[in-house]
Amino acid sequence: MDNVIIVKNLTKKYDKLMAVDGVSFEVQKNEVFGLLGENGAGKTTTLEMIEGLRKPTGGTIEVLGFDARRDRQKIKERVGVQLQSSAYYDHLKLSEILDLFGSFYDKSTDKEKLFKMVGLENKANQYVRNLSGGQKQRFSIIASLINDPDIVFLDEPTTGLDPLARRHTWDIISEIKKQGKTIVLTTHYMEEAEILCDRVAVMDKGKIIAFDKTHRLIEQTKHPYKIEFILEVDDLEFIQKLTESCELEKCDITKLPGKTSHYELNLKNQKALNKAVGLLQTKDPESLTVGRATLEDLFIELTGKRIQEGESD
Amino acid sequence: MIKLFIANLKMMVRGKQALFWSLVFPLMFTVIFGFFFGSGTTSAGTVVLINNSNSQIAKSFQTTAEKSELFKIKTDVDESQAKDLLKKAQISAIVVVPENFGNMAPNSPKEIKVIDDPANAQTNGIVIGFVNQFLTIANFQALSAQPIFSVVEEKNNDRDLTYFDFVLMGLIGLALMNASVQGIAITMANYREDKILKRITTTPLRTWKFVMAEVLSRLVLNVFQISLILIIGIYFFHAHIYGNIGLIFLFSLLGGLLFQSIGFMVSSIAKSTDAAQGMSVAITIPMMFLAGVFFPIDQLPKWLYSIVQYLPLAPLLRMIRQIGIEAASPFTNPMNIIIVLAWIAVTLTISMLKFRLTDE
Repeated sequence: MDNVIIVKNLTKKYDKLMAVDGVSFEVQKNEVFGLLGENGAGKTTTLEMIEGLRKPTGGTIEVLGFDARRDRQKIKERVGVQLQSSAYYDHLKLSEILDLFGSFYDKSTDKEKLFKMVGLENKANQYVRNLSGGQKQRFSIIASLINDPDIVFLDEPTTGLDPLARRHTWDIISEIKKQGKTIVLTTHYMEEAEILCDRVAVMDKGKIIAFDKTHRLIEQTKHPYKIEFILEVDDLEFIQKLTESCELEKCDITKLPGKTSHYELNLKNQKALNKAVGLLQTKDPESLTVGRATLEDLFIELTGKRIQEGESD
Repeated sequence: MIKLFIANLKMMVRGKQALFWSLVFPLMFTVIFGFFFGSGTTSAGTVVLINNSNSQIAKSFQTTAEKSELFKIKTDVDESQAKDLLKKAQISAIVVVPENFGNMAPNSPKEIKVIDDPANAQTNGIVIGFVNQFLTIANFQALSAQPIFSVVEEKNNDRDLTYFDFVLMGLIGLALMNASVQGIAITMANYREDKILKRITTTPLRTWKFVMAEVLSRLVLNVFQISLILIIGIYFFHAHIYGNIGLIFLFSLLGGLLFQSIGFMVSSIAKSTDAAQGMSVAITIPMMFLAGVFFPIDQLPKWLYSIVQYLPLAPLLRMIRQIGIEAASPFTNPMNIIIVLAWIAVTLTISMLKFRLTDE
């Protein structure tokens, strides 16, 4: 598989703060690549250095075979960028904005097709101020596609959107991938990365702490399987039996808050999963759900903290 | 770049508030000053003349007053009605010619009475000056004497000029300054705050092309400003422009460039739109009064004049007044051009060093 982005030992230092600390990764052609992490982890700084908006303190970046320091103009012709919370001109209509941005590039694509792709064909003659939050986000995505780019950078594309608008944005990202483009996105929504990204790099304090195909990362967690169950009546003796036969550590079984006798089991392997399911079936639980670990579980395992919602870095 | 230039023009027209400050605001000044000082308006307002004498001198006084363009004469009211009108400030003064005035009889009255409002010193000076002038001539005639001493007024040019002509050129400078300094500084700071500048830098558009499109579209606005001010000044208020209109435009646009450079400098220093707004107001308002938009600055205390004559607007106004009113070449006093060019060089250098589309 061709690498369209190669980042080696990338660093960015602000006074004493190491915002990005020796980051290396490659992005392959036509994949959705995710940079994950909580606010201030260094995702946006990394992305903006690749886009040519910030100067790296050290390291090298190669985009589509061009050096990011030397050949900025050539790179800009072939990439599309959606910034985190960027506004567009107040007094230009959507189609005029696309025309204007299209004129900045050597080639530009059919704007009608772009409007249609995101369901904004009826809004082409409206101003940005007349759009809802989701529509604005969809518009900023197509504005990044006006030059028919090979790589599209999306910085927190769904932050602040309601669940429906978020799902709509996911569909758009899938559609962009189908067109053969490579997508690099940052997000702090773990489930979003799980659904969209072929590969992810998890960042924390300026460093990459995990980097692989999304499903592989999850499988690499200490507890790749999980069971949730609700018993009719709480039975501590049964819970003890379950813990012993599945060789669970104390922290692997959690009584969830809220409902009575609602438990979560984190299991290390298939054998333990089979045993637990067998035992639970004898107890005829009111509810039994078997699932796998999530990226969030991996993140908690690696960093010991949960990702909080809020302003991103 | 052409598309960005056209888009900028569209945005200027659609952004009604900016257009108001750039066009309507200076035009309001032009109209107000036109009504006060433009020719066709009498400077001393209306004067009530109560002529109670039918002597030759009294008749001659009335005819001369009526023909004078210094004020309008109203005669259809009596003294008490006139006093009432004066209190309401509907007239400027009352001139009373007493009964038998000018009859040359020994007991006939010898004085013309002027009733005026002490608050209106300028008007009073005109009315009393007129009455005095008339009576002096009348005295000479009564004595069959010829005046020996007299004053000869020699104007530095033989053109008819009014205060309005002076202000009109000042208003062109004011309009250019407000539209360019505030327009550029606030627009750029706003673009930076909304991350529009950052978004632009993700595209291959070169910074100089972005700046050039902005500068050219503002110059188009400047041309509209100058045209409207001149049209209204000349056609509605009979301003006197003796110089070459083309040169007025050319050198005004040089001023436009200077103020745009100041605007870019402010936007590169200001951290937010509010700061840019505050800084540009702090630059333009004092300059409006100290650089000679409304009155000649050589009337200021010497120490202050020696400083303010170098403010960016001051040499520009001297230059366009020289072209417009005196019909002189702007190169007659090259120091003005040198100061303007020096300001452009300084502000442009600071802007080029400090103005960035991105944070880095």
